[in-house]
Amino acid sequence: MNAPAPSGIRFDGVTVAYGGTVVLDRLDLTVEPGEVMALLGPSGSGKTTALRAVAGFVRPAAGRVFLGGRDVTALPPHRRGIGMVVQQYALFPHLKVKDNVAFGLKAHRTPKAEIPGRVTEALELVGMAAYADRHPRELSGGQQQRVAIARALAIRPGVLLLDEPLSALDARLRSGMLAELARLHRELPDVSILYVTHDQVEALTLADRIAVMDRSRLQDCGTPEELYRRPRTEFTASFVGNANLLPVTVSGEGAVRLGDRSLRVPVEAAAPGATATLCVRPHLVGLGDGPNALTGSVTEVQWRGSTHRVHADVDGHRVMADLRELREPPAIGDPVTLHFATEDAVLLPAGAGAGDSAGVGP
Amino acid sequence: MLVHSRAGKWATWAVFLLLFVPLFAVPLLVILAASLATNWSGAFPSGPTVERYAAATSGDSLQALTTSLVTALAASVLALTLGGWAALAAASLRTRGKRLLDALFILPVAVPSVVVGLAVLVAYSQPPVLLNGTRWIVILAHTVLVTAFAYQSVAAAVRRLDPMYEQAAAGLGASPARVLWRVKLPLLLPSLTSAVGLCFALSMGELSATMMLYPPDWTPLPVQIFAATDRGSLFTGAALAVVLMASTLLVLAAVSRIRTRASYR
Amino acid sequence: MTPSATTTVPRTPGERAPAATAPGPGPARSRTVPAWVWALPPVAVLALAFLYPLALVLQQSVTPDDGGGVSLDPYADVFASEVFRDALTTTVWLAVGSTVGCLVLGFVLALVIAFVPFPGGKAVARFVDVFLSFPSFLITLALLFIYGSVGMANGLWTDVTGAADGPFHFLTTPWGVLLAEITYFTPFVMRPLLAAFSQLDTGQLEVASSLGAGPVRIIRQVILPEALPALAAGGSLVLVMCLNEFGIVLFTGAKDVTTLPMLVYSKAILESDYPAACVVAVVNIAISVGLYSLYRVVSRRAGA
Repeated sequence: MNAPAPSGIRFDGVTVAYGGTVVLDRLDLTVEPGEVMALLGPSGSGKTTALRAVAGFVRPAAGRVFLGGRDVTALPPHRRGIGMVVQQYALFPHLKVKDNVAFGLKAHRTPKAEIPGRVTEALELVGMAAYADRHPRELSGGQQQRVAIARALAIRPGVLLLDEPLSALDARLRSGMLAELARLHRELPDVSILYVTHDQVEALTLADRIAVMDRSRLQDCGTPEELYRRPRTEFTASFVGNANLLPVTVSGEGAVRLGDRSLRVPVEAAAPGATATLCVRPHLVGLGDGPNALTGSVTEVQWRGSTHRVHADVDGHRVMADLRELREPPAIGDPVTLHFATEDAVLLPAGAGAGDSAGVGP
Repeated sequence: MLVHSRAGKWATWAVFLLLFVPLFAVPLLVILAASLATNWSGAFPSGPTVERYAAATSGDSLQALTTSLVTALAASVLALTLGGWAALAAASLRTRGKRLLDALFILPVAVPSVVVGLAVLVAYSQPPVLLNGTRWIVILAHTVLVTAFAYQSVAAAVRRLDPMYEQAAAGLGASPARVLWRVKLPLLLPSLTSAVGLCFALSMGELSATMMLYPPDWTPLPVQIFAATDRGSLFTGAALAVVLMASTLLVLAAVSRIRTRASYR
Repeated sequence: MTPSATTTVPRTPGERAPAATAPGPGPARSRTVPAWVWALPPVAVLALAFLYPLALVLQQSVTPDDGGGVSLDPYADVFASEVFRDALTTTVWLAVGSTVGCLVLGFVLALVIAFVPFPGGKAVARFVDVFLSFPSFLITLALLFIYGSVGMANGLWTDVTGAADGPFHFLTTPWGVLLAEITYFTPFVMRPLLAAFSQLDTGQLEVASSLGAGPVRIIRQVILPEALPALAAGGSLVLVMCLNEFGIVLFTGAKDVTTLPMLVYSKAILESDYPAACVVAVVNIAISVGLYSLYRVVSRRAGA
């Protein structure tokens, strides 16, 4: 098993169904060797199913899964040679830390003499070498997490699957582990990582690319920056970061109408008269008059420490603005004028049932 | 929680003791006291003696004890192998196969033990397999009777076992055999030992099927106790009963020690 | 979706579309045996040691000793006999009576242990577990010392009154069996009840009593509904076990208390009338397997 492990994952039309219910619908996705791909979506979106199809715990009803260019669709999990870390870590309670880490090496018939060295190496990678003789129950959640990662990496897999690995940790540990995972990836540049999460911050921080999943389907895929700055769907816009989504009608070259207001936005390939959704990030909305001014009345003001979030009613549409902390925040019912720059707006194709309040703030 | 006044609590406890002590504690104490007495036809036993224990741990009685211990040990190990194997195999089957195995392996509980004895007697008193008159027929019947309990406890433990351990092991490259030996069985060890303890205790006290089957040279302790009381030697019966209870408890205590050491959480 | 390069195998008409389990060209495949193969060895052993003997009992029950082929004569003979009908009635009423007794007693005792906690309550619960690991005939043995004809109660009576004979002779009647069965099987009701009570949120009781409910109302309206599944499961288990009880009846030495298991024993061992024993056995199996299936359904619904 010392030949370089196959790296890179390819989903080719992978469909998974449980008793007639399709939980993953024709997924086509490629994770390049050495790439970190985050599968981001709400619960029930099919992201964990996709990961389990790579690991071999679910059999696709159709489509193929490739690891390092090799079709593994029919292979049982133990012959796929992947590393996997799950939410609850699943450390074997009856084995010491070092035996947990050695488990995969023994299963792969690594020569006996090599095992202690490989175990130490893997534990050092996550800073847990001092705990080799402990039992998992004697470790904190964060420590168990590191051991689980060491166990997955000890077999030197070409592909590492992480299923919500941070969701069982508290907020403070989580940000520490996030930095740790980023460092690990820099030290293991050839490993492809598939990272399943429902947390946009984890995905934005860690991933080279993000695949956004919803209702069993891949909705969007791109670098964090692309998805954040140029989302292609309303779902992506609202799930990756917050967004004001406003229903507009294209009125001409670089112009749309919101009710009877005319706004100047970048319009690409949309015929005049077509309906569309305008997406503006709340922190790019400014207070006071300017280009693309929106007047309305304040409906809610939330103080968030460094910012104030002001909700305004603009002709029946809700518009949110994240404003740097205001000395004298407006009161509810006050008239207010907001504006945004033309280049900060993105025009999206109108989705089914497009609303103006899809932005769900954290 | 339910009764808040002091008087009410004391009254409840008094009723509890009035019911509990005569019904459950007294019988066992009576047997213990009788085993140490020569005579008991008044309020209290008289003529303390340990002679019965000397008799109960020598000669025929000693042989009956070893017979019972060997039978129980053999039956519980066989039953654990058989029932445990079936329970593990059932866990990897689909609903219908699992239902079928459940029904098959729980059937011996529902069939009266006397009938199990009769069935084994009828089947193995005729060719092709003649076991009647040997110790094997007793061990066979005990195994059948306790297998159902082994199956049930192992099946319950397998159901409680989180599948994530199995999947983590498979993901690390462990073949199904390695997953079974290195992960599943060690994690199930506490349940397996308690299943063995249960089977052992049941087999030690088994009387119904044994009465149908035992050959003269393989008389387990319960049969010996019945023989003693049937011919009127109640006090000898009591001493034998104490030996039976003590040896059962001793083995259960040993098993539970193993279990405590085997549980990791 | 573009067709994958790996599925472009020439397909003959009528061949089914490649499912996930269909072999793809090239990739390694698993060669594990199907799971049901692993279930075969234990099933085979069980069939040999248990199912085959049961089948022989069934066969024997329709084959009279006096030669001839298959006939239902043994059934007619057995059903016509007084002894069998008596045994059937005795078995059923003893089992039903014991079950009711166990349910009432077990419910009361478990209620006190769980909801009027006292020091040593844990020890009592442990004692109940230990009690379950002893054979049933020990209870009859103990009752012989207490209520037997030369036992403690009668001895006390004759000492005090000077009478020649004590008043307690119920041990050789069905009442003695009933007492022994209630004593022995009550813990089988208490155990599932204690488990169910430990799951009950005590907050519910506190809320109920803060709303002004007295203990009786709380038991009836809060505890009893929660305990019903456990009561039903424990009750049907005890019913089956009482139907099949042998040791308790054997040890009383009562000639006039004959239950179905006793009848099987006496027909087979004492009278060597195997066809009759097999008929009684088949009836006994039918009743108890039927009830046990009911118990499984009830306890599965109760989640026990």
